[in-house]
Amino acid sequence: MTNIVLTVNGTQVLREVEDNIFLAYFLREQLGLTGTHVGCDTSQCGCCVVHVNGTSVKSCTMLAVQANSADVTTIEGLAKGDVLHPVQRAFKEHHGLQCGFCTPGMIMAAVDLINTYPKPLTAEIVRDEMEGNLCRCTGYHNIVKAILAAADEMRPVVTA
Amino acid sequence: MKISERAFRAVGKPLARNEDLRLITGKGRFTDDFNLPGQLWAAMVRSPYPHARIRNVDGRVALQLPKVLAVYSGADCEADGLKEINHNPVPSTKYDLKLTGKDGGAVFIGKHTLLPTDRARYVGEAVAMVVAETREAALTGAENVMVGYEELPFVVGTVEATQPGAPILWDSQTDNILVDSSFGDAAATATAFAKAAHIVSDVFHIGRVTGVPLEPRAALGDYNSETGRYTLYAGSGGAVRQKHELAHVLGVEPKDVRVLSFDVGGNFGTRNRAYVEFGLVMWAARKLGRPVKFRADRSECFLTDYQGRDLVTEVSLAIDESGKFLAMRASNLSNVGARCVSLSPLSKGSGLITGSYNIPLATLRSRAVFSNTMPTQAYRSSGRPEVTFAIERLIDKAATQLNMDRFEIRRRNLVAPSQMPYRNAVGSTYDSGEYEINMDKLLRLADWQGAAARREDAKRRGKLLGIGFANYVESSIGTPKERADLIVSPEGIEVVIGTQPAGQGHETSFAQVTADLLGVPFERVKIILGDTDVVSAGGGTHSGRSMRHASAVIALASDDLVSKAKLLAAQIFHVAEGDVEFDDGVFKITGTNITTDWFDLAKRLKELQLEDFPGGLWVRRDNEMHTPVFPNGACMCEIEIDPETGGIEITRYATVDDVGRCINPLIVHGQTHGGIAQGVGQALWETCYIDPESGQPQNGSFMDYGMPRFNNLPFFKTEISEVLSPTNPFGVKAGGEGGTTPAPAVIMSAVENALAPLGITGVEMPATPAKIWAAIQKADRSALAEYI
Repeated sequence: MTNIVLTVNGTQVLREVEDNIFLAYFLREQLGLTGTHVGCDTSQCGCCVVHVNGTSVKSCTMLAVQANSADVTTIEGLAKGDVLHPVQRAFKEHHGLQCGFCTPGMIMAAVDLINTYPKPLTAEIVRDEMEGNLCRCTGYHNIVKAILAAADEMRPVVTA
Repeated sequence: MKISERAFRAVGKPLARNEDLRLITGKGRFTDDFNLPGQLWAAMVRSPYPHARIRNVDGRVALQLPKVLAVYSGADCEADGLKEINHNPVPSTKYDLKLTGKDGGAVFIGKHTLLPTDRARYVGEAVAMVVAETREAALTGAENVMVGYEELPFVVGTVEATQPGAPILWDSQTDNILVDSSFGDAAATATAFAKAAHIVSDVFHIGRVTGVPLEPRAALGDYNSETGRYTLYAGSGGAVRQKHELAHVLGVEPKDVRVLSFDVGGNFGTRNRAYVEFGLVMWAARKLGRPVKFRADRSECFLTDYQGRDLVTEVSLAIDESGKFLAMRASNLSNVGARCVSLSPLSKGSGLITGSYNIPLATLRSRAVFSNTMPTQAYRSSGRPEVTFAIERLIDKAATQLNMDRFEIRRRNLVAPSQMPYRNAVGSTYDSGEYEINMDKLLRLADWQGAAARREDAKRRGKLLGIGFANYVESSIGTPKERADLIVSPEGIEVVIGTQPAGQGHETSFAQVTADLLGVPFERVKIILGDTDVVSAGGGTHSGRSMRHASAVIALASDDLVSKAKLLAAQIFHVAEGDVEFDDGVFKITGTNITTDWFDLAKRLKELQLEDFPGGLWVRRDNEMHTPVFPNGACMCEIEIDPETGGIEITRYATVDDVGRCINPLIVHGQTHGGIAQGVGQALWETCYIDPESGQPQNGSFMDYGMPRFNNLPFFKTEISEVLSPTNPFGVKAGGEGGTTPAPAVIMSAVENALAPLGITGVEMPATPAKIWAAIQKADRSALAEYI
């Protein structure tokens, strides 16, 4: 067992954790943040993506102890109160989700992509960059549209 | 006024979904999100053999391990009197084709006990369960249960399992064939074949795939010794059905089982039937006096989620000189796995072998066979992609053989709108549709005119462009009964209904229907689903039944509710019932200036507590609707193959889908997109390959099961066509499966079209780059030189 201190969705958390518990299960089972989902055992599906120090991470493959002193944001911490994040809003407006199981990971991965990709996003770039997240319901069509729409809102075109 | 003639405010609008807010903020309620105080964990001991006698189950070592509390075997289940899961696999509405056993009698299905006592019949079958304080301890315990197996000969192949001398799965049977039924007019068909100018034949195997809902299946069981009631949290395709089936397993009354199924992370058919773990966790909870939870890992899902397809079909078409179809013969063989859970795929496909075409005569033999594999079940568009594949691929072959244009030969044979309702040669009656108009719309949507230029352009870039085309018609039948409760309160209207969405948006589209029927704002309607203590009856969600059944029963319930509200208004305002008029949400007392609405009536009733209205202003309505509907459409795609690598890129994909009345186009288009991806997945990447030498499944993770991904699919062009069905109040057909139904056929049509210049035919699904590359290596090198 190890003591860890970290910030989760803006709140400081101090916990004693088993050395082998993954961050995803720590969030789900010890903090009750069940919005982070686990869909596979091989880091392939992306349902578990959260942000650790601002970067998207598949939390099923990171130990909770590795998140010691980190700043973690989960899907529950993305909206500011009742004000949805632009990516959340775009997923709703563009019907970018059906069953909703992959959705938290999708949204968290998409936020990181929009925030960090150095060039303007195109459908092709979104498809290549998001390839590590699986969805079984949407055929990805409306997810790509949602991400591009959110990117337009978050990254207004700057003319030189 | 007939519903179909009304002007709608909510119906037909692409309203954003009511479900979304909780799901995009992490507040969904999926099965594994539930935990109960003191809960234990279960893990399964699974057979490593495809077929083995179980000599004994020895849990002594496991029980010595820390935190392990119990090891249970099939013998323990039997000793406690647990019964088998009473699957009811033979579809039984009035319009389903009647499948029977070999002698025309009942179908032998093989007992589905929670844990077997005699043999393991497929790799992955649960043969024992370990319960422990933690999941890790349970898994470690499962690894330490010693099962004495005696390996037996096995068979996994669909055709191989039918052959004389094949290992037999069930001792009481003389072979593995459980269904053998024939349909249509065999003698007249034989005569037509005898005089045909052309006969075109082929054999196709539509391989085995699995649904892969992204939420792994899970179950949390509890038992209350004071009330004697069981509780199960488990995502499914219908909580009411699970309640009844699991009550049978546990030997209790259905009222003593409560099933909760809220957000379900994908279904696609895999969750429509009960899983053994559902019964096991409840039983163990009673034995141990604490809640018990199970969560499958992804590999367990690949091994033991109910799988889909696996149909071998032999088809022949008799054609006259002018290209008119005269008759068809088909022999379909469905691999049901180790025991029979559902015959829906075989049955649904059987009724649709003639596809969208006017083929006056047909004969069909439908068989089902056991094998040492995971049982199969309905998988998205159960049975229809298989037979659509057969007829559409056969027609492409006929066009080549007769040297006819593949569109022209189809046009010459399509069922015409004037023939509707059209009874096909095996007895299915198509309700409505404009098949040739679908084709014309599609050719415009897909820019067929520009295809030749695109093919030249691709060739200049060294790519082989292939154009795929398919028509389709499918049937939406499903469980015939549905129930709706409509409850009016001063705050809003609640609709309690027994369907079970897994992403289809019922909380939105059902609210749209209710809002327009009752003349209330969409925002005031709330749909209640998924808790059997609230939802008393209902058929669940499968076979594209939900929108049609829900809109029909809600329409009937709305009429009842209006009558009841008129009675209430009459009592409140002391007038005769006949003096209350209702129009578009407003109740008016004739000859006065008094008007009221639903919410005002509910508020007044609450204050007055009138004894004629126990429980308030509400109604319960049951409906039984057997008549099927036949969604239909046309589909086209373009692919480019790189002849140097065999790699495929889908460059264009377009569909026209007649879904009948479209309640919410945003949702229906979304259903089509997802359906396309699953059908394309089967054609290009997905397979549950079972090694015939070892009987071992080879696809146990996302590393080795090819999934549709962001970067292997294009944007889709989807167009909805609304030819209203005359069979139900709103004219709904179905929108959930049309994307999938033609997709394997259209992709393989494109693959064949692309490879035609090289003289390559007969590439089998999934058409992976490796297969295509291998075929190209054997092809005519001179033709290839034009591309490389």
